[in-house]
Amino acid sequence: MTGDELPLKGIRVADFSWFGAGPIFTMALAHYGAEVIRIESQIRPDGLRLTQPMPKDRPPGINLSGYYNNFNAGKLSFSLNMASQQGRELALRLIAKSDIVAENFTPGTFEKWGLTYERILQVKPDIIMVREPMQGLSGPHRDFAGFGAVITPLAGISYLSGFPHRPPVGLGTNYTDYVINPGHALVATLAALRYRNRTGKGQLIEVAQFESSVNVISVALLDCAANGRVQERQGNRLPYACPHGAYRCQGDDRWVAIAVFSDEEWEAFCRVVDEEWVRDQRFATLLGRKAHEDELDRLIESWTSQREAEEVMEQLQAAGVPAGVVQSAADTLDRDPHLKARGYYHYLEHPEAGRTAYDGPGFRLSETPGGPRGPAPLLGQHTEYVCKQVLGLSDDEIADLVAEGVLQ
Amino acid sequence: MSEGPLSDVRVLELPGAAGAYCGKLLADLGADVIKVEPPGGDPSRRLPPFFHDDPHPEKSLYFFAFNTSKRSITLDLGRADGRALLQRLAQRADVLIDCFPPGHMESLGLGYESLRQLNPALVYCSITGFGLWGPHAHYKCSDLIAVAMSGMMYLAGFPEDPPNRPYGDQSYYCASVQAAAGILTALLHRDRMGRGQLVEVSMQEALAMNQETAMQYWDLRQELRRRQGEGRRLPSGEWFRVPGIGTYECADGHVYLMIGVPGFGAPISVLIQWMAEEGMAQDLTSPEWQEVFSRLDLRLLVQLYQGADTSAAQEWLPRFRHVDGIIEAFVRTKRKQELYEEGQRRGLLVAPVNTPRDVLENRQLNERGFFQEIEHPELGTTFRYPGPPYRLHGTPARIWRRPPRIGEHNREVYLGELGLTEAELAALAGAGII
Repeated sequence: MTGDELPLKGIRVADFSWFGAGPIFTMALAHYGAEVIRIESQIRPDGLRLTQPMPKDRPPGINLSGYYNNFNAGKLSFSLNMASQQGRELALRLIAKSDIVAENFTPGTFEKWGLTYERILQVKPDIIMVREPMQGLSGPHRDFAGFGAVITPLAGISYLSGFPHRPPVGLGTNYTDYVINPGHALVATLAALRYRNRTGKGQLIEVAQFESSVNVISVALLDCAANGRVQERQGNRLPYACPHGAYRCQGDDRWVAIAVFSDEEWEAFCRVVDEEWVRDQRFATLLGRKAHEDELDRLIESWTSQREAEEVMEQLQAAGVPAGVVQSAADTLDRDPHLKARGYYHYLEHPEAGRTAYDGPGFRLSETPGGPRGPAPLLGQHTEYVCKQVLGLSDDEIADLVAEGVLQ
Repeated sequence: MSEGPLSDVRVLELPGAAGAYCGKLLADLGADVIKVEPPGGDPSRRLPPFFHDDPHPEKSLYFFAFNTSKRSITLDLGRADGRALLQRLAQRADVLIDCFPPGHMESLGLGYESLRQLNPALVYCSITGFGLWGPHAHYKCSDLIAVAMSGMMYLAGFPEDPPNRPYGDQSYYCASVQAAAGILTALLHRDRMGRGQLVEVSMQEALAMNQETAMQYWDLRQELRRRQGEGRRLPSGEWFRVPGIGTYECADGHVYLMIGVPGFGAPISVLIQWMAEEGMAQDLTSPEWQEVFSRLDLRLLVQLYQGADTSAAQEWLPRFRHVDGIIEAFVRTKRKQELYEEGQRRGLLVAPVNTPRDVLENRQLNERGFFQEIEHPELGTTFRYPGPPYRLHGTPARIWRRPPRIGEHNREVYLGELGLTEAELAALAGAGII
């Protein structure tokens, strides 16, 4: 620590986003010093606040979801009823005092509240407005319903992932919600923020989650556009590496991933395994291994299945072969000595959920190390702070707003 | 001068596939990204697929996908003159992207500590499998190893199969996105303080968030999320699918349906109404079935998914099978785009499982002008690239130029910008350094 201020100190974000792709993006801003104010309400809470996982053996609660809490570390929560005219006026006043406004509603929701880009420009001419609709702010499918689970098949990721004999069921998660879409929104926003600092000009940023997600199959798209080829699922294999896959190890659902690209790596692999079959001349070359890949994979698994995944990884890595345990969440959180030594997961004390784990930042900065600066907020925890310190309301005004149901 | 928001930023990108998408993001945003390739070209130029399947280093579509809008110079960092040139380039750069294993740049005398002496404002970004320090820092990595160690692979695939690697080097995209964000954050700091810093990206950490809720399930409930494939399995091993939620086969492929989850799109009664209009709802419009559907709420679904109450499962599974069979028969009669457009028109959460061709032909993407036609004069052709992942309405990102040929910009960079003489350039080329 050099004592430098975090890079985004002094930047305020009016965060109307919800679920995954929006809040994860604004959390990265909070990690690096921005004051991120979630606008929420009891009437229409973020769906993730109602979603598992919550702590075991306790009744569920609106502040207990690990799903929500992990994406909202270090933010403030301002409960505001956007169904009321006064609520919408306060929202506009908050935006006027913010550098960035973020939302990921279906197109039309912000407009319905009177929060068009044009209206916002009147109160904050250099605003950076970030919108993350599913399909974009225009086009024939603009109003189509969707969220992460739908984007994976739509963007071509499901079709290309998995084993060819299985239906294309995707990756078991709403993949692009967690790094790809929030990350793209973050990159665009930081670029726009620098541009604003240089020129004084803000702008509207549109991150259509579909367009953002499609970028991660760019190689298959070029293959189709230039060669007319539709790539198919290949399981865990690669045309130019062999062996390349996940192999069963000792224990319940334990696997090790092994990736051999070069001759040197294959020779090192053979030295570690040291069984009769590794000297089979059919396996001496990449082309030979590819031609007999099913057999080779079976032989490798006969060797790995008698060993622990960690042991295989350590032996192969010591010899210079890329290998890694297919880690479960229990591994990454509790057992991986490397993540532990690096302190990737942060344990933070939350007023209701207790001491729980949060993901650390996706990148580390040497001079201005950011990260979760506090737990996720309770719903409405910072309403009074925002009303007084940001909006400059008096106690009487706040009391009136509470009585009228605006701050709920 | 481009109109992109980063038109004042100069980036040096060293060889390595993991950081190429980072360089592309910055280049498409208007930065001047110089790809520093070893003589003969970047290793990723040897990766398939190739244009017309001709395995030539100037024809790798893999390389093309990650290297739009960049310039290219060649430089052998294994030679003293090459290293001296890199130092000169780094003196006038804002950003350097390094994907070599930990310690490699130090061994060349080009590590962060050396380069920052020459240029204190430099933002130096390192992308490695496991970061620059820690017990596994020296581990060899690849995309497969990164997705395995991050926890995301454990969640993908069918329980009977090995866990699945996602298609297409997703760890490189994720690490690159994180790296680009880190670089821009560091540039914001530099703009204010005048000093650069080290941005460290571990692919394992960059991917970890992709575990969705698995980490929290373990932390809060000591429950391990596992790969489910399709549908759900009870502890007894019995398989079921909640009707309307999952991947269904249709006339020309598959669609993904997410119908009947409270709060997400129209309820299942809308699907049944649609099936009834086409005479395919069988007995599902009867009052008995209506009553059954009305009892299907989120709590029941969670209960069944967790398998705690086997009596509930015994009661519900035969019903689910009956309804699911009828839905399957209906879906099989229709094409995926028809199910998508008409389903969405009715408010149902339906998505086609798009092939790459479907994506290229997608109406929404095309009407919004998402794809960019890029000319490759040397290949005598023009084809479509995906456009940038975002639209900055004030300072657009776009593909400013086709991916560079090997060393295409040697002359303009070395002569025009570094001030080498023709004789020096010839000497360096003759010695195989450039």
